[in-house]
Amino acid sequence: MMELTTSPFFGVTLTILAYWIGMAIQKKVNRVICNGMLIAVVLVILTLVIFRIPYENYYEGGSLINLFLGPATACLAVSIYTKIDLLKKYWLPVVVGCSAGAATSISCVYGLCRLFGLDREMTMSLLPKSVTTPIAAAVAEGHGGIVSVAVAAVCFTGIMGNLCAPLMIRLFRVREPLAAGLGIGACSHAMGTAKALELGETEGAMSGLAIGLCGLITSLLSLLFDLLP
Amino acid sequence: MKILKQVGILFGLCWVSMYIERLLPITFPSSVIALILLLILLLVRVLKVDHVREKSNFLLGNLPFFFIPAATGIIQYKAAILSNGVAFLVICVGSMVATFAVTAWAVQLTMRLIDRRNRK
Repeated sequence: MMELTTSPFFGVTLTILAYWIGMAIQKKVNRVICNGMLIAVVLVILTLVIFRIPYENYYEGGSLINLFLGPATACLAVSIYTKIDLLKKYWLPVVVGCSAGAATSISCVYGLCRLFGLDREMTMSLLPKSVTTPIAAAVAEGHGGIVSVAVAAVCFTGIMGNLCAPLMIRLFRVREPLAAGLGIGACSHAMGTAKALELGETEGAMSGLAIGLCGLITSLLSLLFDLLP
Repeated sequence: MKILKQVGILFGLCWVSMYIERLLPITFPSSVIALILLLILLLVRVLKVDHVREKSNFLLGNLPFFFIPAATGIIQYKAAILSNGVAFLVICVGSMVATFAVTAWAVQLTMRLIDRRNRK
């Protein structure tokens, strides 16, 4: 039985099954904490731990799913392109906001990592954590970080962003829907955008735009990561 | 055939991007190169959104699914995460709040400056 788990069919089927269950629960409960992906990951981990299946066996199928991450990232171009009119209209505030946000996120994470004395591997995994998962994972990997840690940090940040967005808007007295939307997208990518969409149409569209743009700017800024001490 | 063509376009782009990544003297993720290439191709109208629509809807619509194996890999690093648990939480939440505040304020400031200039 155990040898059979080395077949890629096992990993792919388990992942689809877990995702299916996760999404069904997410739809029913409708709370951010019950995020479909989070539930799926927990289910897969539980399955591996309970049946003592090595991660390597699961990864035979998992690597096939990973193959699609590149094309999925490329597709973010389509979502930027469909918002191009919005970008043309507000290009200056959008570009200024996203650049400031990406730079703040990176320098803030870097400062805190130094403060906590984290090693270089952990630091590189956390640096891109405010942007959308495919870009964060690619940036972390390229600079010697751990992809799984980057993905975990991105998800956690996204969930917190989704939960805290309305509170942060009030706390920092953000009156412009444009600014609120871009802020949410810049700090908590797609998971925050889900909340921004609930707040309003402008907020949602701007948040979506910020995902792509902050991702791009962060990957450009990541060119400087190697210079960091 | 339509879907197959779209898969071909996207996988081809990714393959070309990996080649470009190798040629570049800097560390830049090939998937982001593919994003930029696709955006340029759309902007200069070599490609239309229709050429990749179904495939991109499939990938973006199910985006969380494609991250499950990568996220599951965390079990290999549970020691590293647990020993840095507090740092991990503080870094994630702290930088998120700062990023939100700076972005939102930068946008409002820029809008106010544009307003002022327009009024003059």
